[in-house]
Amino acid sequence: MSQVQKIIEYGADWCADCHRVRDIFGTQNIAYEYRNSDDPKVHAEMLKLVNGKNEIPVLLFPDGSILQNPDNTTLLKKLGVKVDGQRKHDVVMIGAGPAALTAAIYTTREDIETVLVERGVVGGLAAVTDKIDNYPGFADGIEGLTLADNLRKQAERFGAVIDLGEVTAIVDQGQFKQLQTSDGHIYARAVLIATGSDYKKIGVPGEKEYYARGVHYCATCDGAFYRDKHLVVIGGGNSAVQETIFLTRFASHIDLLVRSSIKASDVLQADLAKMVKAGKVSVHLETSTNEIVGQDNGVTKVVATDNKSARKIEFPTDGVFVFVGLQPNSQFLAGSKVQLDEIGLVKTNQRLETAIPGVFAAGDIRSGATMQIASAAGEGATAALMIREYLEAKPHPIQN
Amino acid sequence: MVKKITIFTTNTCAYCVMVKKYLDTKGRNYEVVNLDEHPHRQAEAMKLSGALTVPVTVVTKHDDSQEVIVGYNLAKLAPAVA
Repeated sequence: MSQVQKIIEYGADWCADCHRVRDIFGTQNIAYEYRNSDDPKVHAEMLKLVNGKNEIPVLLFPDGSILQNPDNTTLLKKLGVKVDGQRKHDVVMIGAGPAALTAAIYTTREDIETVLVERGVVGGLAAVTDKIDNYPGFADGIEGLTLADNLRKQAERFGAVIDLGEVTAIVDQGQFKQLQTSDGHIYARAVLIATGSDYKKIGVPGEKEYYARGVHYCATCDGAFYRDKHLVVIGGGNSAVQETIFLTRFASHIDLLVRSSIKASDVLQADLAKMVKAGKVSVHLETSTNEIVGQDNGVTKVVATDNKSARKIEFPTDGVFVFVGLQPNSQFLAGSKVQLDEIGLVKTNQRLETAIPGVFAAGDIRSGATMQIASAAGEGATAALMIREYLEAKPHPIQN
Repeated sequence: MVKKITIFTTNTCAYCVMVKKYLDTKGRNYEVVNLDEHPHRQAEAMKLSGALTVPVTVVTKHDDSQEVIVGYNLAKLAPAVA
């Protein structure tokens, strides 16, 4: 075996694992030479090294040893990098919704090593939305779950790694940011906060007691349990109307309780009107929910007030679905230097950078965001470009 | 020791996807009961979980004891299938 002065990587531009190992070389400041195995001569040279086993990447080390598509732990050990609890990344993205997944597509395509940490559903709220009609590029709309899966596949295609876990704090340590997670500490040169928001609770008696036993926040998860049953949906925005329409697939009838007036898009309101005309939905405006009542293991009725007359009204029901808005997932930032606005959204400058240099925010968590999937994706792409500029301006840290 | 894992799911349930994804990363085999395809098994899921929701993950141990995890709850799921 001839001696070489640096690691030679036999790989291909389309190969996600090849991007992954190059990300590690970049993070660890390792010199390497990339040889594209799509070139037949290079491919033949590679196959000789590995006795014909056709799998990339193939890594030829200066000492003559070879690794073929090693996992990260094996590669880091070969490189002499400590792997326990001291993982250092180019960028860690907190959340794996549309904003972070789009950002990850951009960063990983430029060989910026990227890890996303997601505590809930990959794809975020988009994944639990029945049908998305206003995300560009899909003439007939797209199921939220399908869009989420496509975004995930696209990000992973270029080497993004999605870890299932939770970030509980960020600490600025200058050159690196320390992220405290459910699986220990990790470190990143740059961070993207893209934690989005979760559905709000109404905060009425009975809501907590009957959670998942008659009170629900996810129609695509739980609607099927109410085939031919009577439902109450609470809320008046796009989500409430969209999910009411979805639930008509199952429920015999739905009472939609709206605190003031409906604030959904014209298209959704037109679809709702069809359901009302068909007798599937009754809309109750100026109606505030006071209590969710049940017995044994189930919900039996919702008690509400007609705001105009102050009259109490009871809605018998088998189940309640709540869509009353969103609350930001920013609790983990308490005590950090990241600044929040009065609602709890993350403040950023025009470069989407927070008060901590190298920590950026994008999507629903960001103050000033427009709470749309399309704009979340756009902010994710913008944040990725800002992150690239930030990393390029910083000297690459050298491992001891 | 885990003898069997069964997940009750529906077609549109994103949290069900996450439970399957987690089990896949741990190399765990599991049976999927899709309640959209088998609505008659809804009552079974409800009886096991006490809830009207999916995912419902039933982990049966070698001594035939069962642990039921409702929803996508890594804090409970991870130790149950370890």
